[in-house]
Amino acid sequence: MTDAIRTVVIASRDFALRASTVEHHLLAVLPEPVRDHFVVINRRRYPPKQVVSVITGLDRAEFTSHHARRILTGLGFPAGRRAGGQAGSDGVEARPARPEKEPRSLSATSRPSAETLEPFAGLWVATQGPEILVATATPHEVVAWLAEHRQQADSMFRVPADEFQAGGVAPR
Amino acid sequence: MRHSFQPLPTFAGRSRPVVDLVVEGLELAPQACLLDTGATAVRMGGHVADLAGIELDRSMTEEIALGGLRTTGSAATVQLELRQGHNSHVWSPTVYFCDPWPWAFGLLGLAGLDPFVVTIDSYEEWSELRPRRE
Repeated sequence: MTDAIRTVVIASRDFALRASTVEHHLLAVLPEPVRDHFVVINRRRYPPKQVVSVITGLDRAEFTSHHARRILTGLGFPAGRRAGGQAGSDGVEARPARPEKEPRSLSATSRPSAETLEPFAGLWVATQGPEILVATATPHEVVAWLAEHRQQADSMFRVPADEFQAGGVAPR
Repeated sequence: MRHSFQPLPTFAGRSRPVVDLVVEGLELAPQACLLDTGATAVRMGGHVADLAGIELDRSMTEEIALGGLRTTGSAATVQLELRQGHNSHVWSPTVYFCDPWPWAFGLLGLAGLDPFVVTIDSYEEWSELRPRRE
């Protein structure tokens, strides 16, 4: 990803944006639930409109999701589409949909893969099917996020950072 | 219903048998608990009691050596719910809420497994908790 300044026009106003500045702005911002499109910034999936609103201060009614997505992919951030939509065309695969029609009594529950969890080692996560809804430093932040966004997780736990955290291995 | 093991990143070892329990009606965040047939009790982090609004009786506190670490647990009788498809099973065991709690999951020990017939298929990486007939 290049870090050149890119000038964009949003709602008839000029903004000079840089990828590293966007990343910095979002370090302390938790992603809102992704409904359809998303962009990946700091290894997290954000709705494009949330990102553009955060970095410009504009009201979300002043631009479209597609416009926001185009701006952010123009800065080099990968984008994709959530399960249930079509696969993303710019670097991120949509994750498999939950098997909603399959009788759950006959199938095992679906959980995130090891690869999905790996970037979140040491963090508390709420998961839904194979997806991670949110990852934060404390369990209280996870529950606050779920309540604020009216989401219901399938599971909540801390992604272990080592084998001790995974199961309590006695010291050797 | 079968519960898949939770895959973990390679540095954390192999997949673990966990089930997700709604603790005292905290429906939006079921707590992942490790099926721990080597433990007698049900133990969770103290944060779970905070989140679910469970008042702990500090007179029922004990120091516990667990997984190579000493921690302090306060006991409470709480409602746990295991959801299985359209059905759910509710029971009320004694749970020890512990601080510190550095582990990833709660521990569902034998006292929490009493109402079920438990099958663990380690090779296929699933578990099944079938409610015992009264």
